[in-house]
Amino acid sequence: MTAITASGVTVEVGGRALLREVDLDVPTGTVHALLGPNGAGKSTLLSVLAGDRAPDRGTVEILGRPVSDWRLRELARERAVLTQEHSVAFAFPVREVVRMGRAPWARTAREDDDDRAVAAAIDAAELWRLEERAVPTLSGGERARTAFARTLAQESGILLLDEPTAALDLRHQEQTMQRARLIAARGGTVVVVVHDLTLAAAYADAVTLLSDGEVAATGSPLADMDVALLSDVYEHPVEFIRHPRTGAVIVQPIRNT
Amino acid sequence: MTATSRLPRKATKTAADPGPPRRGITGAVLLGSTLALALSVAVLVSAATGQLVIPPEEVLGSLLHAVGIHALPLPQQLGAQETLWTIRFPRVVMSILVGAALASSGAVMQAVFGNPLAEPGVIGVSSGAAVGAAAAIVFGWSAAGPWAVAAAAFVTGVTSVMVVYLTARKAGRTEVVTLLLTGVAVTAITGACLALLTFLGDQQAREQIVFWQLGSLNGSRWSDAAVVLPVTVVGITISVLLGRRLDLLTLGERSARHLGVNVEALRAIAVTTVAMLVAVAVAFTGVIGFVGLVIPHLIRMVIGPAHRPLIVTSALGGAVLLVVADLVARTAVPYADLPIGMLTALVGGPFFFWLLRRTRNRAGGWA
Amino acid sequence: MSFLPRRTVAVLAAISVALGCASCASLPSTAASADDGCPKTSSPVALTDLAPSTGAAKGPATACLIADDVPAPAGSPTPTLPAAVTDAQGTSVTVTDASRILALDMSGTLASTVYALGLGDNLVGRDVATTFPGSDALPLVTGTGHDLNGEAILALAPTVLITDSSVGPWDTVLQVRDAGIPVVVVTPERSMDNIGELTEAVAAALGVPAAGTELSARIDQRLTAVETEIERIAPSDDDEKIRMIFLYVRGGANVYYVFGEGSGADSLIERLGGIDVAAEVGISDARPITAESLVAAAPEVVLVMTKGLESTGGVDGLLDAIPALVQTPAGADRRIVDMADSEILGFGPRSPAVLEALARAIYAPAS
Repeated sequence: MTAITASGVTVEVGGRALLREVDLDVPTGTVHALLGPNGAGKSTLLSVLAGDRAPDRGTVEILGRPVSDWRLRELARERAVLTQEHSVAFAFPVREVVRMGRAPWARTAREDDDDRAVAAAIDAAELWRLEERAVPTLSGGERARTAFARTLAQESGILLLDEPTAALDLRHQEQTMQRARLIAARGGTVVVVVHDLTLAAAYADAVTLLSDGEVAATGSPLADMDVALLSDVYEHPVEFIRHPRTGAVIVQPIRNT
Repeated sequence: MTATSRLPRKATKTAADPGPPRRGITGAVLLGSTLALALSVAVLVSAATGQLVIPPEEVLGSLLHAVGIHALPLPQQLGAQETLWTIRFPRVVMSILVGAALASSGAVMQAVFGNPLAEPGVIGVSSGAAVGAAAAIVFGWSAAGPWAVAAAAFVTGVTSVMVVYLTARKAGRTEVVTLLLTGVAVTAITGACLALLTFLGDQQAREQIVFWQLGSLNGSRWSDAAVVLPVTVVGITISVLLGRRLDLLTLGERSARHLGVNVEALRAIAVTTVAMLVAVAVAFTGVIGFVGLVIPHLIRMVIGPAHRPLIVTSALGGAVLLVVADLVARTAVPYADLPIGMLTALVGGPFFFWLLRRTRNRAGGWA
Repeated sequence: MSFLPRRTVAVLAAISVALGCASCASLPSTAASADDGCPKTSSPVALTDLAPSTGAAKGPATACLIADDVPAPAGSPTPTLPAAVTDAQGTSVTVTDASRILALDMSGTLASTVYALGLGDNLVGRDVATTFPGSDALPLVTGTGHDLNGEAILALAPTVLITDSSVGPWDTVLQVRDAGIPVVVVTPERSMDNIGELTEAVAAALGVPAAGTELSARIDQRLTAVETEIERIAPSDDDEKIRMIFLYVRGGANVYYVFGEGSGADSLIERLGGIDVAAEVGISDARPITAESLVAAAPEVVLVMTKGLESTGGVDGLLDAIPALVQTPAGADRRIVDMADSEILGFGPRSPAVLEALARAIYAPAS
């Protein structure tokens, strides 16, 4: 069963096409990475998938229903979104912000799970030391982790993450991607925008490579991708290197030195 | 291959850092009760003070008498009982209602804008209402009945808010910056209208308009309170009900929408409620500023930003502030009634600058 | 984004402060006083002893009332109560007790009328403009300006309040009504033409209609006598009549108005045997002075209130403040005639005396 399907999605702004005829299929239980250089349209695609933005042409379906058919609250129970900015206007403590992720479940049976879900999310993002801290006083990375914990607390089947690892240190980058894998293993679906190609190779079941608003490649793991295509899209030569012990794919830019 | 097995030992649970003081419901209850107590004391003191000094026991006695308890003595002096019930009590009640309305609408406005500097005056409600009242005064619509000024102020106040809100909308979304800028434009236009009305009016109208612009609780009557009370109660109730969703709005429009909040509807309801609360207050007492700015800010510093407790406690805080300010306004200079808006601005302005610096340095700014 | 609201807020605060200061400065301070440049023990020449005048003269003059300006009461009538009247606003009011009277208006006319009717002993308080023999002993119910103080009024426990809409705040008057005290509102119009109407309205409200008719007749009689003398003294040819204009000035607040048609000043000027130039150039009610209209009007005599003249720094100050005045005959000859604020436009029972004093000052300033 497909969690998310996009068909012929086109987004035009001021005569310029941000996305052009994008097709995408994300089956449940998978981690799907969106790759591409700056300005390729990754975030735009993610916001279309999230239902923030209606495409000028084409459709997006979540769990088989067009995203425009979903009521806001219903949709919130099915999919959680992590945006690139993590600002909080007032000095809420971390614990409260994570609890906000439970909002879609208010006045439903799953409301009883709130405390457990919040505790689990704080656990997963290792925020115990920061629970009572006011979010605006945290560092960028800490705020990113708080926002991530919030999406985890939402406990929705689908997770859309826009550059979740951008501000994080090594440990928390790994932790985030491992959590994504865990969610997928339990039947959830994760679509994540990343810049680190090795991370994508390590954790994503399939990737979609965007170039200038169009899909250059989609559907297979990064390891199966044509290196020449990758180098072409990123406008920099890259090569795949196999780790001697584990056999994992490392994507390495070719440097002149 | 779960995540936890890879975690090194040092990342274990430790005691939570002490954070901002007094969070959550207990803090709000504590502060709320303190404010309620302060309010009762302020009311008694205010009712006892003035042209005629009436001992507080007699004030209390008069109140109890009205509900059938004859434990304490009635006011003894000539005209004291009438003074209490025709002048002082209505005035105190209006202070409470207007203070509560202004403070709670300030809290809501700050949530909608995501900025602790937002105030209903910014979006043009106060100046819009001022135009209506001034027009009623200048063109003599008050001949139609005593409500004409208030009604006109209400209509123009709500209208100007709608103009600001609709002008600032684009493809079903409202950007905060655009909202603010449109508010500035509307304030400028209404300011010009006011100047025109001031010019057209006669001597009496002119002085009335100027004093009305500075705010005054002088002349408050039970009939005024009878209109302000239901509107204030409804407005504050709606605000409290919106509280949880306003909390979510602090995450930003997009994230709030992702969590199931209909941001546009929320904004529309919030803005309308604010307009209602402020217009009805301004219509009867003129423009009183800074209450909606300073009180929620202060309360937030003590109990944190969660909106439900914030709105309720701010309402109480606003009530206390205005009762005390009104007491000062009518007793500071004998026989004179200082414009209360001037008082709140004179005190609120510098206090606000101090608040700005302090909060900025401590909480790492806002957003 | 955080800059804009802060600046707006600061600007609003500054404007509020400025407005507050400006309106403080513009608080009317026209209290009646005896020291208005008039000799205390005066026995000026009676009109009957003056020769006919060409109307030409030079230099400023002050119009002074002779001692018995308010007609002495004919007796102490007993009010016939209850007195049911329909006041000038159409409200039906029933007065059941006239033992404690408050008569308040902008120029003290109502209080003088009550005194002249013979019920002066029943007055329990006064406004700033009230002057009649013994009025100083009465407590003030207005503050430093003309604003009514509700508590001061109720503290006097009046049994009837007679007022017009010239003193406010209006809400305070309504508060007195709310307290159960009968409030009779008479017309705020003051001119030479409605003295009888006003006198009879006050008398009817107090249950002494017969005394009212009698007083009205007496005033009328005296007025006719004065007017006959004026007719004798003043030039009779239209092109020789003195061109007069009434200016309302308040130097401190930069307020300069012409009082034209319908302001009461027009009827005064006409009865003084002069030409109301404001009417000529089409000015009605109170309008700010414009240089062109003043020069076009070309007045020969300027009438002002004494305190107003003082506030601009005397005749020299006035000519400085209104340069256009120098280009008029009045300015060139420095013919500025001033009279105490509460007297000159007060009308009512004093009207004959006021007219006489002004005529003296205009037609025979040397006396």
